[in-house]
Amino acid sequence: MADIVNDFTVNIATANGTGSQSANLILLHSMFEMGVPVSGKNLFPSNISGLPTWFIIRASDEGYQAPGDVTHIQVVMNKDTWLADVEKAEPGTIIIHNMDVKLPVERDDCIVLGMPMTKMARSINPKLARMIANMYYVGGLAETLGIEESAIASAVAQQFKGKEKAIQLNLQAISEGRDFARENWNCDIGYSVAARDKDPNTFLIEGNEAAALGCIFGGINMLSWYPITPSSSLAESIISWLPKLREAEDGGATCAVIQAEDELAAVGMVVGAGWAGGRGMTCTSGPGISLMSEFIGLAYFAEVPGVIWDVNRVGPSTGLPTRTQQGDLTMLYEASHGDTQHIVLIPGTVDECFEFGWRCFDVAEKFQTLVFGFSDLDLGMNRWVTAGFEYPNQKLDRGKVIRTQEQLDAIENFGRYRDVDGDGIPYRTLPGSGLEPILYRGTGHDEDGVYSEDPEVYAATVARLKRKIEGARDKLPAPVMREENDKQVGIIYYGSVENTITEIDDILESTTGMKVSTCRVRALPYHSEVERFIAEHDQVVVLEINRDGQLFGILRKELPVEHLSKLHSVAFSDGIPPRARVYAEMILKTLSGDTKEVIV
Amino acid sequence: MSMRPIQLNVIDLPKADYTGGPSSLCPGCGHDQISNVIIQAAWENGIAPEKIAKMSGIGCSSKTPAYFLGKSHGFNTVHGRMPSVTTGANMVNKDLAFLGVSGDGDTASIGIGQFIHAIRRNLNMVYIIENNGVYGLTKGQYSATVEKGSKKKKGATNENPPIDLCKMAINLGCGFVARSFSGSKKQLTALLRAALSHKGMAVIDVISPCVTFANNDESYRSYNYVKGNEEELHTVDYIPHFTPIEEVEVPEGQFEDISLFDGSTLRLETLGEDHDPGNPVAALAAIHEAEENDKHVTGLLYYDSEMKTADEALGLTDTPLVDLSEDELRPSKAALKELNQSFRA
Repeated sequence: MADIVNDFTVNIATANGTGSQSANLILLHSMFEMGVPVSGKNLFPSNISGLPTWFIIRASDEGYQAPGDVTHIQVVMNKDTWLADVEKAEPGTIIIHNMDVKLPVERDDCIVLGMPMTKMARSINPKLARMIANMYYVGGLAETLGIEESAIASAVAQQFKGKEKAIQLNLQAISEGRDFARENWNCDIGYSVAARDKDPNTFLIEGNEAAALGCIFGGINMLSWYPITPSSSLAESIISWLPKLREAEDGGATCAVIQAEDELAAVGMVVGAGWAGGRGMTCTSGPGISLMSEFIGLAYFAEVPGVIWDVNRVGPSTGLPTRTQQGDLTMLYEASHGDTQHIVLIPGTVDECFEFGWRCFDVAEKFQTLVFGFSDLDLGMNRWVTAGFEYPNQKLDRGKVIRTQEQLDAIENFGRYRDVDGDGIPYRTLPGSGLEPILYRGTGHDEDGVYSEDPEVYAATVARLKRKIEGARDKLPAPVMREENDKQVGIIYYGSVENTITEIDDILESTTGMKVSTCRVRALPYHSEVERFIAEHDQVVVLEINRDGQLFGILRKELPVEHLSKLHSVAFSDGIPPRARVYAEMILKTLSGDTKEVIV
Repeated sequence: MSMRPIQLNVIDLPKADYTGGPSSLCPGCGHDQISNVIIQAAWENGIAPEKIAKMSGIGCSSKTPAYFLGKSHGFNTVHGRMPSVTTGANMVNKDLAFLGVSGDGDTASIGIGQFIHAIRRNLNMVYIIENNGVYGLTKGQYSATVEKGSKKKKGATNENPPIDLCKMAINLGCGFVARSFSGSKKQLTALLRAALSHKGMAVIDVISPCVTFANNDESYRSYNYVKGNEEELHTVDYIPHFTPIEEVEVPEGQFEDISLFDGSTLRLETLGEDHDPGNPVAALAAIHEAEENDKHVTGLLYYDSEMKTADEALGLTDTPLVDLSEDELRPSKAALKELNQSFRA
């Protein structure tokens, strides 16, 4: 059979709570060890044990990271989804199944490979048979795909760090799986992996852990959090890394961690920490942001720094708690009642999760406002490649904080909310300093912080706040752009769409010859370069993972009106990380509706 | 005639250094008496004003931080959420003395969750509830601490039992629980001075009758200024001027009837010497017994100084976190190099 190397998708159907996540990560990491460009997507349920889970592994020499459009190898382990998984398989699919699940695989048009995984597992450890059974499909896949022994050994060792017994047991199961496949299957399935030169600096890491480490290098002093999928692992990573990275000389903690009673309390603590001069942060998902909104407005209006990471899951309401979306963007940008506007940093890679982890604090203190880090479940909870995190290239920016009487005396006519420098950012003093104490308030206040309902004072205050945030535009991370000479079509996107954009771009070019420029927005308010990009292209598509085109809406509101006719929204969300072909087709359809000449 | 020297406290500051702006509450409001007690107690305890942080939520009571301790930073936050803001501030600056002022709406209704959890963590703060059983700023709705059977001149009788914040605090294991009366300056000052010295959460529930909206005859918070002039009673922009309730100090173990604005009475009983504040069961019994006899027991109900505070439980470094240097906040380049390497291994 013709062999397709490093270009296939494996879909593994299991039930969660059965240990399949370990098996799947071993497969992913072993291929990564061999230098095969690979990505893994965990589609898991909102449940502890027993509901269906799918893990999608895609190998791609092109570096494509989106889940593939077609499943080439389907592993079926879960009796609850068995029939549907088998039925959905395209003709020609390799179906690997656990023969001990007494369900049929009636597909003459597919290559069906069975193994008595549970029985074999029981023979080496009856107690753990259910979990170890998963290692047999790892063995079967390793044998048929040609995954090296040494890569498997290394991945197993990494998965069960230091637990020698578990390492031996699982290696034995994988080895038996290999033997069975060799002896009983026709292993020439037409797909294989081949080792590639691996950059020895690279490793795989979840976006949430990368962001957590960034926060620690950003000098976080107070983490308050309320557990919510998919953000909990961000907080838990901070908690697990703090003792190793941030212990003081006296052995004490340099960051207080509080598991709050709810999200309202979590954000209240962030506001309190920022008010007192510390670097406070919380992480949550959409439902948490909804609850936090009142405090977000207080921080905006009273000008208190703080950081909130939103790891987006599917809304509205409880929605699909374990699936991904970019549905919170508008809410973050304009959270809370009245006129508000918040700074949002939007990482698209794990490197940026780390960088924005520390940068959020600098931006928050510089602009004396709440700053959002905006990630999503796909970026936050799946593993992505990095060549190692880069050390912050600037010192901590603590903003305009007056710490001494001399500094205070140097300012003529000091007032907490007086715009001394003309940039909309006033100076502040901290509790405990005894310098110009005021009673902070969410009520109307004048330049000295004194209660005021004066119409002119109110209008001037909110105008200055707008000026302050407006001034942040070009001081926030600039967009990452790749511009074609022929500026016919530009695609604007953000966040985890980064994982799909190359493939979308290639599909557009290979099917229509169309060469598109791309512009990845990395912050709100958007950088002036974004406007230039739009101005220079004939047609601009705003591509995002939601229903309504939320960035499109923001651009349409803020761009000069002459650009609006060339702006098109392509927005779609079904909870699954974007498949390139779906979005590419939507882009073509959208463009054809407006500009027929684009479609060749 | 020789000038009387200005009296100074132990850190050589005059009381004037502890005062605030003029009050905008209704004339005669008990809350202003409490503000005066706060000024007095902070001055007498000799706490440097800049080392105090005034915290509040929303409501009449929560406006009062503008009227005391003008040299202290403060934060008038959002409704019912003062404890969380205080928690965050306390975590990053454990050297500040946190003084929270709240009301019965702010604490017993919208903020009851944060009240409970601040006690549960033993947040190191003084938490004063200026308790009048009524929402004043929104013009007279019942709060959750109002007695069952309380009846407004117009509108329905309250059929729900009150939430007793002292009982609740004792049950939650709060290390300092006291009840007092806005008119009992001496007792309240003593309690507040003790609370300011206490390490950990100190709850003081202060009965502070509303001069304007506690408008029913039966309630101890009642107001019936213009008998036979009901129209005026409900004209909310008409705020009669009262003289604040006269000071009253009830001797230990005794009770006394206090005349309120409308001539009705509030029966206050002061805990006797035989009360053991180290016994939560005795404290709860005292509250229940007083309740059965239509009395309000005042004094230090429960005290336990042995508990770890929230910041202590976290094992924070000695230096307040806001004072840490960049070197202490950001791990070194070498640490990042090692970290990257550990992931590659």
